[in-house]
Amino acid sequence: MAIISLSYKYLERLTGTGRETILQRLPMIGSEVERLEEDHADVEFFPNRPDLFSVEGVARAMRGFLGIETGLPKYSVRPSGIRFTIDSKLEAIRPCLASAVIRNIAFDDESILSVMALQEALHWAVGRGRSKVAIGIHDLDTVVPPFHYVASPRGRTFVPLDFTEELTLDGILEQHPKGRDYAKIVRDFPLFPLITDDEDHVCSFPPIINGERTRVTTGTKNILLDVTGTDQRAVNVAANIICTAMAEAGAIIESVEINGVPFPDLAPTERMVSVRECCDLIGVGLTAPQMAGLLEKMRFGAQPAGSDRVRVQVPCYRADIMHDWDLFEDVAIAYGYENFAVEVPPTFSIGTEHPVNAVATQVRMILAGLGYLEMMPFTLTNERVLCDQLQRPRSASTLHLMHPISEEYTVVRTEILPLLLEMLQVNRHRELPQRLFATGDALSDLCTTQRLAFVSTHPAADFSEVYAHAAAVLRELGIAYSAEVSADAAFIEGRRADIAVAGKRVGVFGEIQPAVLTAFELEQPVAAFELDLRAVPGYPSR
Amino acid sequence: MAELTFNEKRLLAALVKEKKSNAEHLASLLNATPEAVVQWAHLAMDKGLAKVERIVEKAFEYTDEGKTYLQNGLPETQILHLIKPGTTLADLQGHPSFKIGFGQLRKKGFIRVEGAVVIKNEGTSTKAEESSLRNPVSGEPHTKELIKRGILAESETVRYAISITADGIALAQQGLDLKEEIGTLTRDQILSGAWKTANLRRYDIKKLPKTVYPGKSHPYQRLIDEMRLILLEMGFTEMHGEIVQSAFWNFDALFQPQDHPAREMQDTFYLKEEAPLPERWECLRDMHEHGGDTSSTGWGGKWNPKKAKQCVLRTHTTSLSIQYLATHPEPPVKAFCIGRVYRREAIDPTHTPEFEQLEGIVMDKGVTFRHLLGFLKEFYCRMGFSDVRFRPGFFPYTEPSVEPEIWVDGLGWVEMGGAGVFRQEVTAPWGVQCPVLAWGLGVSRVAMLRLGLKDLRQLYQSDLEWIRNSPVHAPAEAARKT
Repeated sequence: MAIISLSYKYLERLTGTGRETILQRLPMIGSEVERLEEDHADVEFFPNRPDLFSVEGVARAMRGFLGIETGLPKYSVRPSGIRFTIDSKLEAIRPCLASAVIRNIAFDDESILSVMALQEALHWAVGRGRSKVAIGIHDLDTVVPPFHYVASPRGRTFVPLDFTEELTLDGILEQHPKGRDYAKIVRDFPLFPLITDDEDHVCSFPPIINGERTRVTTGTKNILLDVTGTDQRAVNVAANIICTAMAEAGAIIESVEINGVPFPDLAPTERMVSVRECCDLIGVGLTAPQMAGLLEKMRFGAQPAGSDRVRVQVPCYRADIMHDWDLFEDVAIAYGYENFAVEVPPTFSIGTEHPVNAVATQVRMILAGLGYLEMMPFTLTNERVLCDQLQRPRSASTLHLMHPISEEYTVVRTEILPLLLEMLQVNRHRELPQRLFATGDALSDLCTTQRLAFVSTHPAADFSEVYAHAAAVLRELGIAYSAEVSADAAFIEGRRADIAVAGKRVGVFGEIQPAVLTAFELEQPVAAFELDLRAVPGYPSR
Repeated sequence: MAELTFNEKRLLAALVKEKKSNAEHLASLLNATPEAVVQWAHLAMDKGLAKVERIVEKAFEYTDEGKTYLQNGLPETQILHLIKPGTTLADLQGHPSFKIGFGQLRKKGFIRVEGAVVIKNEGTSTKAEESSLRNPVSGEPHTKELIKRGILAESETVRYAISITADGIALAQQGLDLKEEIGTLTRDQILSGAWKTANLRRYDIKKLPKTVYPGKSHPYQRLIDEMRLILLEMGFTEMHGEIVQSAFWNFDALFQPQDHPAREMQDTFYLKEEAPLPERWECLRDMHEHGGDTSSTGWGGKWNPKKAKQCVLRTHTTSLSIQYLATHPEPPVKAFCIGRVYRREAIDPTHTPEFEQLEGIVMDKGVTFRHLLGFLKEFYCRMGFSDVRFRPGFFPYTEPSVEPEIWVDGLGWVEMGGAGVFRQEVTAPWGVQCPVLAWGLGVSRVAMLRLGLKDLRQLYQSDLEWIRNSPVHAPAEAARKT
């Protein structure tokens, strides 16, 4: 979750209105106010809007949404004359780079933290934990251009941020906290990405850590930005979001030439969209000028182009506009979700229950009629409960979760009875008799099937009782079965029976083995039943 | 005043003569057990007609050992008498009470042993012990010691003294109808007509019956059924499907990029099995890579079919919705399902690794985002939440997206799932031309509100007493005023 801390004073200054107005309307642009503190609010923004991960970005959007300043924000970029070279060996390692020079900065402790927070939020939302995009910010006046993005031997040394000693790149992965956190991104490459200046000072070891030398302090006036990664589009967006946020704060943006191409490119992209398509999607009748007006509130440039067309300029920081409908959503947001005249869909149709659930409802009626209470245990369990405690052999076909959360939950149940015995265990101090049932999904290989199990425990629970109840359930479900000699080790020999339908075993019932009872800490006899509901005549097949 | 039973009347009639008596005597008069008489007397006492006094009497009895000491004196007395100046240990050892008597004397410090000679200490005597043996007094230290030594036994006898009150006498003087009562109506009485003159015992309706519980479905299942019924009544077709899904249907078909964090091992349960890709998977690949034939740019990069084949436990039932649309691409479609979904979450009061999700879609010509909001409002109203508001939301597979919130007294606005119109990137690969309104809802969150639970685990590891005591009829309105 991207939770951004918005300082009231700074937000009010940049937005040009009071905090009450801003905070009241903020949720309606797509956010959730998590906490209101004395001097700031913590607000959660969605991962598709990384341009809102800074006070500057929020103020820019809110000026539009509140009608203070609408339309496309314009950012000018002047050339810095600084160049960046890229080593072709990085192609298979971390090929993409964007950069910029940002001048005229007045940092204080708070604004440094704010930039770092934006950087971290971008690492999370755009950078996929730095693997796709990583951002470095350096004090430009500590280094000498041009800069070089190279694939370096792993034995190269430099002093990483927060350290005083030189470490090798391999040493950083082992000893630096950030090295340990992000080692997995680069560990398998023979050479590591490195950014150096023209005097071979290390600026940064992306995506791991910057050099101590280029540390940004309150004395920093000018910044060198580097953004590296594996996806040029994402790298560019991250650079654009940082540059435009800094520009909103009053900085001057200068371009850096990478292989002859100037970065950043803060020009908008264009889309021509249909007014009718927008109205059909959101269900509101709008003219082209009305639609253009709403888009301008969302900080797009928009001009009607005939009655059904609007020409839209999408700002360079809007990473989320992939499709025309992404713009239509912004039209709906600008229109105001609270202003829709809501109406139920006119579609006529006849409701139909799924046949699997129709049978489940019948099963519940029958079991309730016999005095049983329903339980809804987890479908996740483990083989100790599922097999071992019932003295049943483990099955080779049981599917195992690759990364279970605990030893308790490692497989999806293939039977329900073991989970019902666990329910008896949970309730062993409760009054007897206890008659419980459960019905629902279980796996048979990769297929989802439905089963029914019931248990009865009290001093006189026995085979006669469970046979009578089994016969009643099977009769009510219309299952023509025969009771056959069973070899199920969970039950007492001579007090157990398999349920067979057309020669196939579909269930079992009987008195539970005392050793099984002990394994579940049960002290009274238990009579139990389990059935594969696919035995019900006409049961829906996959 | 509550009705008198036949036996209470008989007791009162006897008491009018006896005034005050004990349970045994009354029992012999009424031809009943003393216990029954005490029970009737208590019933009469509750009505102010009789008085019951419980009298506890303590009595002492001698054990067999005690009886011999009564004749011969306590062992310590017997031994003490034998000690003369110059008596040696050997002189005493032959005596049958030596072991106990000598031990007691040593313990009480009545004697000392110097070399082989046993000497009686000045002024010692067992008079007090002997006196307690003959006249035991409850609570007195020597008596208590004798009880402890198994010489004496103290027993308690409880007697009941029963008397009639002035009200009882007054009532008896009005006349008591002493016709015999019948407890159970029999087949013979019904057939013979004897019932016409029979005096059937009247029950005290203020006396609560024994608690019994009917068999019933789970409170959570009842809530799920309530939601199912609402959707069926609104004309939706119910879906049902597989727990194990390919990443293709669970993620890719919903336009979740292959590097999306939700797809990582730490959030999703993966299995090592693989599932084949469905027909037309290439359309989906194109959609991810460059947006296919739509106005979308796609995610860019290379789409990896191997990643899409991995099997997962479904993380949402939306995987069923998209498969339903893929097989039903023509309008209209109105479908829903309520099913378990799986997330890799550690268990705590508000998180479980599996939980129910409600999922629904409406696909038709001319349906819009406005209709989606209308549907959501209607659904939550029917669930008992009449104040609904809408906030913009974000989900990778819908555009526009919305987060509905409901008002709950005491909690404020509560987020209630998510909704939106399926993106074209999601619907176009399957030839779906009309807009698809879609929404999902965490059923367990509604359950916590409606069933008043603080801990989600109660749904899945239920206390039997909770189920026994949860009424089947639990209207929405009642639950909201918590």
